[in-house]
Amino acid sequence: MPETVLIVGGGPAGLEAARAVADLGGRVVLVERREVLGGTPDEANYAALTPHLGSAQEALDRLRAGVGRPEVEVLLGSTVTACRGSVGDFTVTVSGPDGAGREVGAGAVVVATGFTHFDPGRETQMYGYYEFPDVITLPDAEKMLKEHRFVRPSTGEPPRSVAFIQCVGSRDRRIGNEYCSKVCCGVASKEAIEIRRLLPDCKVYIFYIDMRMYGYWENQIYWPAQEQYNVNYIRGIVTEIVGKGDRLLMKGEDTTMGRPLEVLMDVIVLSVGMEPSRGTREIAGILGLEQNRYGFIAAPGEPMDPISTSVPGIYVAGAAAGPRDLEDTMGTAGAAAARALGVIRSARPAAATAGA
Amino acid sequence: MTLQARYADVPVETKQRLFDEVKADLRFRDTLYGCYECGICVAACPSARFYDFSPRKIAQAAAREDLGIFYEQLNDDIWNCSQCFSCLRCPRGNNPGGLITIMREVAINNGLASARQALEGYGRVVYKIMSTGTQVSPDMLQPNAFPDWGPHVAEISENLLLWRRALPPETLHTTSTAWEVTDRTLTELYLIWHMTGVMDMIKEVDAGLHMILVDVMEELLEDAGYAAD
Repeated sequence: MPETVLIVGGGPAGLEAARAVADLGGRVVLVERREVLGGTPDEANYAALTPHLGSAQEALDRLRAGVGRPEVEVLLGSTVTACRGSVGDFTVTVSGPDGAGREVGAGAVVVATGFTHFDPGRETQMYGYYEFPDVITLPDAEKMLKEHRFVRPSTGEPPRSVAFIQCVGSRDRRIGNEYCSKVCCGVASKEAIEIRRLLPDCKVYIFYIDMRMYGYWENQIYWPAQEQYNVNYIRGIVTEIVGKGDRLLMKGEDTTMGRPLEVLMDVIVLSVGMEPSRGTREIAGILGLEQNRYGFIAAPGEPMDPISTSVPGIYVAGAAAGPRDLEDTMGTAGAAAARALGVIRSARPAAATAGA
Repeated sequence: MTLQARYADVPVETKQRLFDEVKADLRFRDTLYGCYECGICVAACPSARFYDFSPRKIAQAAAREDLGIFYEQLNDDIWNCSQCFSCLRCPRGNNPGGLITIMREVAINNGLASARQALEGYGRVVYKIMSTGTQVSPDMLQPNAFPDWGPHVAEISENLLLWRRALPPETLHTTSTAWEVTDRTLTELYLIWHMTGVMDMIKEVDAGLHMILVDVMEELLEDAGYAAD
């Protein structure tokens, strides 16, 4: 099967890698577990993208349009169940929606199985996520904002005060996720701006450990949130949330003011970080890929080669390799496409010589 | 917002009104953008080395519109600032010293007891400047004129000429140079202080001093054709 790249995952990374392979003259078989393309941004109802608040759906539509071409075969409702062979000559078993297996020959594989949002009730019942209806997560807030509204889930009324708690499920040795999830500072600030636009009388606070607004996010998101939208940034981790009447009492320390702090909120948004998706954990086992201690696909050549996995001919794109924003995701997707086609093409003359 | 707030007995409406007065000042939007709490203003602040005073916290509280902390600062902190504006080196372009200027004016205009108390020691200086249009110049520092200023006055007066020659810039601030103020200039100064609200401020913090100043200014102003009030 000459110049075929098998791509696992139909989110932004997989779609972009598929488009790039096709643009470079290769063929693609794109395997997606769900019945639709778009991945986590689609599944989790992303509405406005950080930092420019452009439409997530329009962005996904463009990515989907990029694979609507004869060089790309899309297998929906499908998963990879087995793989044999090696670089230049993989045989991958794909299980379809009817449960029937099909063998696909591919010279290289790109893994784009992405991340999942940290579940704040998974082990520790952090912040009463499953106890208080008004404690929600970034994607929960995103879902409301997609409908151009923001209310207290318990009453349906607009809140007077909203707090974001950063680093939920990230930077925490106790939970086991010591890493920073990279995007939550920007996404929380973006949602805070959207809430202030919708509800000008609502006070919005962001409780943080460090604000990590890389590069242009500083001037595109962080400064405008403070200077134009009066979002209040308070440094300190919130210790606990308790119900008080029909509101939420949040306890913590205002560390830069040097005071303990107790304040009533109507809605508390947990800025949940990234963890490897179920698909990422499973594909690592099926393809025999080394994972890092957090379960993401390891890229042993980092930082100069963030694409290659521990298996020659298999590459990783997007957040399957760890927390990544969309810019990184798009960049690694294009790079993975080039590396995959490159390895197939460089392997062919050698194979031809060996055969002659 | 925070637990250990002082002035809990002051109604929140009062705090809000005073904050709104600060925010409504035309200079406000050029003194405060946003604060990422880096502390460069505190590092540069001479007052912060001697007092429990932080220009960062002043900027933070105003940016957050934290009425409790704002009111505490309005009473207990702003008079620790020396208004040197070293804090202008803020990378966000904030001017905590300028914010304090506005807060001080609001504190005085509203007759806050803390403002009166803070300014009590300055009555003599205010009287001197506002009545004569000029200040004490260094060569006036003679032990007999300032018996309450301690033993250093004698030492200063003995060596003053030599010490002043050691200063890099030429200074005109002596009794024989650029010290006297003409009646015409003084009349203009009196008018400015009346028309810009300075006299009203003095009245709020020190009614006695205000009465004396009105008295002193009366004759010149009337000679120039203005009513003293």
